[in-house]
Amino acid sequence: MPPMLFSPKLEIFFVVLTIALAALVAIRADLTRARGGRVLAFIALFLFPSFALWTGFSEHMERATSTQFCLSCHVMTDFGRSLYVDDKSYLPAAHFQNNRIPRDHACYTCHTDYAMFGTVKSKMRGVRHVLVQYFGTVPKPENIKLYQPYNNRECLHCHAGARSYLEASEHHKKPDMLAEANANKLSCMANDCHDIVHNVADLKDATFWKETQ
Amino acid sequence: MPQELIERRIRRAALLVALGLLVQLATLAWTHPLSFVAFLSIGCPLEAAGVLYFLYALVSHGSSHPPKAL
Repeated sequence: MPPMLFSPKLEIFFVVLTIALAALVAIRADLTRARGGRVLAFIALFLFPSFALWTGFSEHMERATSTQFCLSCHVMTDFGRSLYVDDKSYLPAAHFQNNRIPRDHACYTCHTDYAMFGTVKSKMRGVRHVLVQYFGTVPKPENIKLYQPYNNRECLHCHAGARSYLEASEHHKKPDMLAEANANKLSCMANDCHDIVHNVADLKDATFWKETQ
Repeated sequence: MPQELIERRIRRAALLVALGLLVQLATLAWTHPLSFVAFLSIGCPLEAAGVLYFLYALVSHGSSHPPKAL
């Protein structure tokens, strides 16, 4: 994601300022009879609102990548809990608890396609999820599946070239294993590999990590 | 074109922009998928409509002047 242009507080101040200017023009439209008033109207009704739209969109896109945003839907609660399972064989939990992914952007880091339009596709799916949440039938957490098999590309975005990835003995159990994984012909989450992911159906028997400061 | 009509259009544009910005302000106070949808489906269209209506007021004002004789 591109860096945010404004801090949220500064953006709120800017929006309030623009509202005040627009209100002034609405109340005193007669000001536009003078050149100064016309300049004010141009700033209040074109320049500032256009900029506010752009920064607002940027801020909302940035927020949509946060873990808090994803877990704000009830159906995602168990997926959030799975990040705290006290078992390092749980792949998302091991990544989350060991800071291999940024905790405040945990979902987005692994579930956005690292490809052209990956973010756009993710956002479109997100809008569909909101529609299903309010107008459709929400599936049980254990019945939620990915749209398509998880692409190794998302793992390799970080792990490609890493020594732990290249030299792990488990990655050389079969000849060409790494090459197949790199080509996405062998899933990283295949049976007997990293096959314990969120497994939300098993959480009732799990123990959870309690973070200590 | 009478000045009152232009001012009325500018006033309407300002109201649309202010309404859109108020929606944007409300959505910024809440990190939730619904606030994202509200911003996209209500705030953005209102602000865009206000900006476009303001531009329309300017253009319609400009086109109302008769061409100067050579």
